[in-house]
Amino acid sequence: MRVLVVEDEKKTASFVRKALQAESFAVDVMANGEDALLAATGTPFDAIVLDIMLPGRDGLSVLRQLRERKNTTPVLLLSARGEVNERVEGLNLGADDYLPKPFELAELVARVRALVRRVGENKSVVLRVADLTLDTLTRKARRAETEIELTSREYRLLEFLMRSAGRICGRMMICEKVWDYNFDPGTNLVDVYIRRLRGKIDADFEPKLLHTVRGAGYILKEQQ
Amino acid sequence: MTIRTRLNLWYSAILCAVALVVVAAALYHELVLEHRHHRQIVKEESERSQTGEPEINSGDLVDILTWTVTPAVVLGLAGGWWLTRRALTPVTKLTNAVEKIHEKNLGEKIPRTGNGDELDRLTEVFNDMTARLNDSFNRIREFTLHASHELKTPLTILCGETETELRDESLTSDERERLVSHLDEVRRLSKIVDGLTLLAKADAGQIALQFETVRFDELVRDNFADSQILAEPQGVQVELAACAEISVRGDRHRLRQLLLNLADNAVKYNQPNGRVTMNLRRAEGFAEFKISNSGPGIPPEILPRVFDRFFRGDPAHSQTLDGCGLGLSIAQWIASAHGGKIQVESAPSKLTTVTVRLPLT
Repeated sequence: MRVLVVEDEKKTASFVRKALQAESFAVDVMANGEDALLAATGTPFDAIVLDIMLPGRDGLSVLRQLRERKNTTPVLLLSARGEVNERVEGLNLGADDYLPKPFELAELVARVRALVRRVGENKSVVLRVADLTLDTLTRKARRAETEIELTSREYRLLEFLMRSAGRICGRMMICEKVWDYNFDPGTNLVDVYIRRLRGKIDADFEPKLLHTVRGAGYILKEQQ
Repeated sequence: MTIRTRLNLWYSAILCAVALVVVAAALYHELVLEHRHHRQIVKEESERSQTGEPEINSGDLVDILTWTVTPAVVLGLAGGWWLTRRALTPVTKLTNAVEKIHEKNLGEKIPRTGNGDELDRLTEVFNDMTARLNDSFNRIREFTLHASHELKTPLTILCGETETELRDESLTSDERERLVSHLDEVRRLSKIVDGLTLLAKADAGQIALQFETVRFDELVRDNFADSQILAEPQGVQVELAACAEISVRGDRHRLRQLLLNLADNAVKYNQPNGRVTMNLRRAEGFAEFKISNSGPGIPPEILPRVFDRFFRGDPAHSQTLDGCGLGLSIAQWIASAHGGKIQVESAPSKLTTVTVRLPLT
């Protein structure tokens, strides 16, 4: 998996590169729009992380050019402006995701992972992690042989976590996907819901499946 | 006392004085000079014959004076009243125009008469002053906006690098704790900067809302479900007393943010095992959402300031409560951006109620 990171701020580019490399991505870094456009048209990348504010040609213009040239590489936009309009504009131009600065690294990595895996996303009707199953048609959850009652919000949270099983899910990403909030709610809503969900799917069972990754988010997986 | 009344009082006093002087002079002439003259004539006449001659009576003179001076004074007063009114109308107009100036319309100019008189000059001075104020306000807004943008890059780096360090497997648990604590503070800072950016942009009119017809009652129900969960750890009971079916024209995300901010505040500033009550109804052409909490209440002296940015009633609270201190300011902006109003009622040891009124579709 090869990712192009377009970011003119050296330090940011550096830790983004490190984090993605740690997830065994091959990472190319470009510091301006022109170079990025050249690189993206010459090399097949699996995803592009594109800062909007760049010297010379800005990120939105790079994106527009890419899409005009029928390049369909998934693009994650980064922006320090963080305007709703900008987000809408970016998505309309063909971006696949948008992350306002300051972002959390885990959040960024999770989103890049989601982008490159989107093609092979788990589309099965019954999701399974160890002995926890979730039937997305009947909306019933089961752990071992016990049926688990879920509210609709809890169901959406569990479905999201199970579809991303084995990957860290950042709080912001959860807010976006489960609550459809495109703003930081500034509350501990996600944590409180996770605690409840944990009470339902993990409290009376072994092994524990829903884990907290300190400073990053949550992950649903079989063993820690 | 208005200038007009004062001018009229002075004017009538002077008019009366003048009239009095005239009357006094006339009387003096009539009573003293005429009398003396009359006596002389009488002496001369008595020396010749005793034939009578018609003479002007002093009482007649007073009558004449009364009938001429009084209308003159009355007319003079009325004229003066009219004249001062005419002279002062431009001042009243100017006052009304200046009264309408507030921080949002500093860019507008007061119309000038252009006749170059003192009031025109005053208008010009006022216009210059508001222009200067407008400049300063704009500069402050731009400064806040730039400052919050400038803070974002270092915050991104700080956050990213700390997270990178946290990935190091060889960290001791103490070191890890410390880094996580740093990260928490960096995130808090990020939230503050986010809120600040939002408000700075709102002030500069740079946020376009995505208006659509929204079922407000559905948003309230949704928010009610989330609030119950949010309140659970504190043992706070949340109830939805009424929720009428109401549609409003608004930005779905912003309205949800408004509701969440209010619910979060109601839970956060509550007491353990307290209550939060929500209520949505139609009232006088508005969608009226009320949320009350059984917190300790807000003293009247700080009540007008609860919507101020970063204002916390109790300074001790800022240490224990998370959040950025901008929640209510943001809620207020969202309400007014929808053409609505938000207000808070409270008193110590009484229910605190926040009321939001949004225009119906």
